[in-house]
Amino acid sequence: MKYLERRVIHGILLLIGVSVLCFLFSDLAPGSFFDEMKLNPQISSETVAALRSQYGLDKPLPVRYARWVESVLGGEWGYSFAYNSSVRSLLVVRARNTLLLTTLATLFSWLVAVPLGVWISNHPGKWYDRLSMGGTSLLLSVPELVLVFGLLYFAIRTHALPVGGMTSVGFDQLGLWGKTIDLVTHLIVPVTTLVLASLPVLVRHVRASMVEVLKLPFIQAARGHGIGPARLLFRYALPAAGNPLISLFGLSVAGLLSGSLLVEVITGWPGIGPLLLEASMSRDLYVVVGAVMSSTLFMVFGSLLADVMLVVVDPRIRVE
Amino acid sequence: MASKRKIVAAVMFLLSLHLAILLAGFVAPYDPAAQNRDFPFAPPTRVRFVDAAGHLHARPFIYQCVARPDGIYEYEESRELRYPVHLFVVGPEYKLVGLWPSRVHLFGVEAPAQIFLAGTDNYGRDQFSRILYGGQISVAAGLLATGTSLLLGLLIGCVSGFYGKWLDESAMRLAELFLVLPWLYLLLAVRAFLPLHISPTQTFLLLVVVIGTIGWARPARLIRGIVLGAKNRKYVTASRSFGASDYYILRRHVLPHTYGILLTQAALLVPQYVIAEVTLSFFGLGLSEPMPSWGNLLANLQQYNVLVSYWWMFLPALALVLVSFGYLNVANAFHERLQSGST
Amino acid sequence: MGTEAVGRAIKPALVKARALCKRYVQRAPFSRKKFVIDALMDVDLEIALGCLTALVGESGSGKSTLASCLGILEKPDRGEIWFEGSKVSFANSRELTALRPKIQMVFQDSAGALNPRFSAAQIIEEPLEIQGRESGARLRARACELMEEVGLSPDAGNRSPLEFSGGQRQRLAIARALALKPTFLILDESLSGLDLATQAQILNLLLDLQTSHSLTYLLISHDLSLVGQVADFVAVMHHGKIVECGSRQQVFSAPQHAHTKELLASVGVVEAAFRTAQVGGGQ
Ligand SMILES: Nc1ncnc2c1ncn2[C@@H]1O[C@H](COP(=O)(O)OP(=O)(O)O)[C@@H](O)[C@H]1O
Ligand SMILES: [Mg+2]
Repeated sequence: MKYLERRVIHGILLLIGVSVLCFLFSDLAPGSFFDEMKLNPQISSETVAALRSQYGLDKPLPVRYARWVESVLGGEWGYSFAYNSSVRSLLVVRARNTLLLTTLATLFSWLVAVPLGVWISNHPGKWYDRLSMGGTSLLLSVPELVLVFGLLYFAIRTHALPVGGMTSVGFDQLGLWGKTIDLVTHLIVPVTTLVLASLPVLVRHVRASMVEVLKLPFIQAARGHGIGPARLLFRYALPAAGNPLISLFGLSVAGLLSGSLLVEVITGWPGIGPLLLEASMSRDLYVVVGAVMSSTLFMVFGSLLADVMLVVVDPRIRVE
Repeated sequence: MASKRKIVAAVMFLLSLHLAILLAGFVAPYDPAAQNRDFPFAPPTRVRFVDAAGHLHARPFIYQCVARPDGIYEYEESRELRYPVHLFVVGPEYKLVGLWPSRVHLFGVEAPAQIFLAGTDNYGRDQFSRILYGGQISVAAGLLATGTSLLLGLLIGCVSGFYGKWLDESAMRLAELFLVLPWLYLLLAVRAFLPLHISPTQTFLLLVVVIGTIGWARPARLIRGIVLGAKNRKYVTASRSFGASDYYILRRHVLPHTYGILLTQAALLVPQYVIAEVTLSFFGLGLSEPMPSWGNLLANLQQYNVLVSYWWMFLPALALVLVSFGYLNVANAFHERLQSGST
Repeated sequence: MGTEAVGRAIKPALVKARALCKRYVQRAPFSRKKFVIDALMDVDLEIALGCLTALVGESGSGKSTLASCLGILEKPDRGEIWFEGSKVSFANSRELTALRPKIQMVFQDSAGALNPRFSAAQIIEEPLEIQGRESGARLRARACELMEEVGLSPDAGNRSPLEFSGGQRQRLAIARALALKPTFLILDESLSGLDLATQAQILNLLLDLQTSHSLTYLLISHDLSLVGQVADFVAVMHHGKIVECGSRQQVFSAPQHAHTKELLASVGVVEAAFRTAQVGGGQ
């Protein structure tokens, strides 16, 4: 498993790189990031003094970075000036919610994209192929921002779905079944937005790589042997088209996370997105860094997952 | 050649969009900041050919919009007088392309009637005018940020590919960092560290620089690849034997190979960056009211009653979609052309 | 002809190379294994002024590498090169700039050495432009002159080199190399890949140019029979070393090294065909 080991190390280096980059950017700010903190009436002078000694806030960048790394290793992930608590306590719940949203969105978009892409690749030029391609190119030019408002409008107008947040008001009083239903109905708008937004790229990629594979001689031969179209497409051609698609899976996570941020903010989903936005506005340094780091962590997990799948699907990678 | 016709059609479509936005002062009938306190959330004015009596008119006309006495934010048409839509009418003064003062507008109606093609917002400002003026900001930000990205990408890609060694290695590692990060997270993080309360011009330039800087990695990688391929050509060695400088070789033998990629990348990046600007302004991290940016216009939708009751507040989104669509078409056409050219 | 060759032999050397070494290190893709190729191993060579020296050897023996070292395009790992009696220093860029126009090269792969985005005239103008020798309308006029000189019609100046035949491309490359009025011209496999009649035509062109421009040639070929007709001196390369070096008579009549003998054995077969072609080529 040398390959995977290398990928894990790569991921860790990436995380370190991103954190360094964050701190470098934070140093770009004209004036000190911490001057403003002193002006903030929400933060008591004792807090500032405590923070100053703990994080070396007036010390040069490398010291601050080192203190931050120390606090990450200690499980605290820095300190939120606005919330007066450790960043980790803020992030954990938020990260879970974002993860729920993005995982479901990833799952559903692939569940739709693969069969659709495979199906239309078998008959390029047919009306449903052209319809799907036209549809995806239209969908491609509709940004998430517009999609989510469209869906919200629809949800509000039809009264079919609850709007805003993750749960309804009386959530705690509901039984397990009621809670599930409530959560699922709240999930529909954000997940659908994300699925619709990532679908066009995925469908196009699946179709393109399938079209390439279907030209290969061994598929032609299999066709000649009278193997049925469904078996031919999914058992013969799809695995052959697998590698680029799995790599795409890793990449698609990044796009999904950006989309998720926007959708979370607009639908009031209590994920990392609204937290980061709020922290950006109030210049809550360690929360910003923490949010970026957790999104990077998701990214790294996504691509590691893709790597694991690659190794499972394609034994040649293991040898290398 | 089919692909050539495609390019022409796609480019023409884009050009007409940009022309309308560039000449916003002329195309828009009103000042984008002019408020009509009597007409908040007035619906789009209907342009008619048939009057109340059933007569057909060659020249389109409108009826004046009046507030209903019994409701708030409810309007009806007063059917007494027809107000024909005239071309090239004299209206509020503006500066064409920000330079030449003028009072001539593409179309308009006589006072006291007003023509709101895309309705009005909560201050009774004409949305059609605001969309056009807002486009100036959003699209200009997209274009300038794209220029920044491509320039950075070209610079870093050329140096990286041409000189190689540790420069290349470190530049490409950095590019990897920028590529894997979700762009919106990065954008917000970088924005967080920059000052919030500055003049609109500074904000605009800041947006352009931040958005453009974040996207340098992809063009840089693509250009590096092309430079790598081009610099090992035999004719580059030949050029060296004549005593050519690195600059000459880059300019004459290497850069011409990158034009195709630059064009395609530009067509892909502009809509992304327009959306980035819109997103930041939407979040309140970009240009703020009363400057119209598509992001500000769309931010109205965050109010529940606006989202539900006034469908025309969605129209800025349509402008955004049209621009994205235009650019993606051009990008596709360029891409097809590059593909067919290389094989 | 014999006396003439001896006469030339006492002429001073234009180019001298001493103990040149060049090693290429290549890394195999996806692995840490390194391949070391010793392209030049202690190569000594003298090229007499005003003569045609032929460098012969099988493909991969290091001829092109030696050519790029002599053409100051690659820095040898070790060893020294003298040109016109002074040592070529790779470090001094001002000296190099002054030296570049005097040493010109016609590259092995003529199609690859001509930028397909340039027109034929632009290709010839390039060295003039870089050296700032001509500008404006004079530039194009000079390009046309050069094209005529190598037997190309100036009307073809606006065509892409891709539209040219192999022989025409060779002529174009020669015209470009002549543009800076060099004293030393390195011709790397300039005759390979052409049919016999074209080979003879190009060879004749080169000989004409040699007298009119008083050029010194290093003609590189993997084919001994081809250059045996015209060379004053012959150097034989094998596995990165020069194994045989001397006047044509010496090498042809009394080869010392086994490899030279091997090369000579295959000459007779082609020679007859070459003669016919030379006649057919209009000599
Ligand atoms: N740039 C290079 N990198 C690595 N190896 C090279 C390079 N150029 C030449 N070689 C190797 O050096 C040897 C000599 O090549 P070359 O001088 O081109 O031979 P010739 O011109 O006689 O055919 C060959 O084995 C070739 O593979
Ligand atoms: Mg060679």
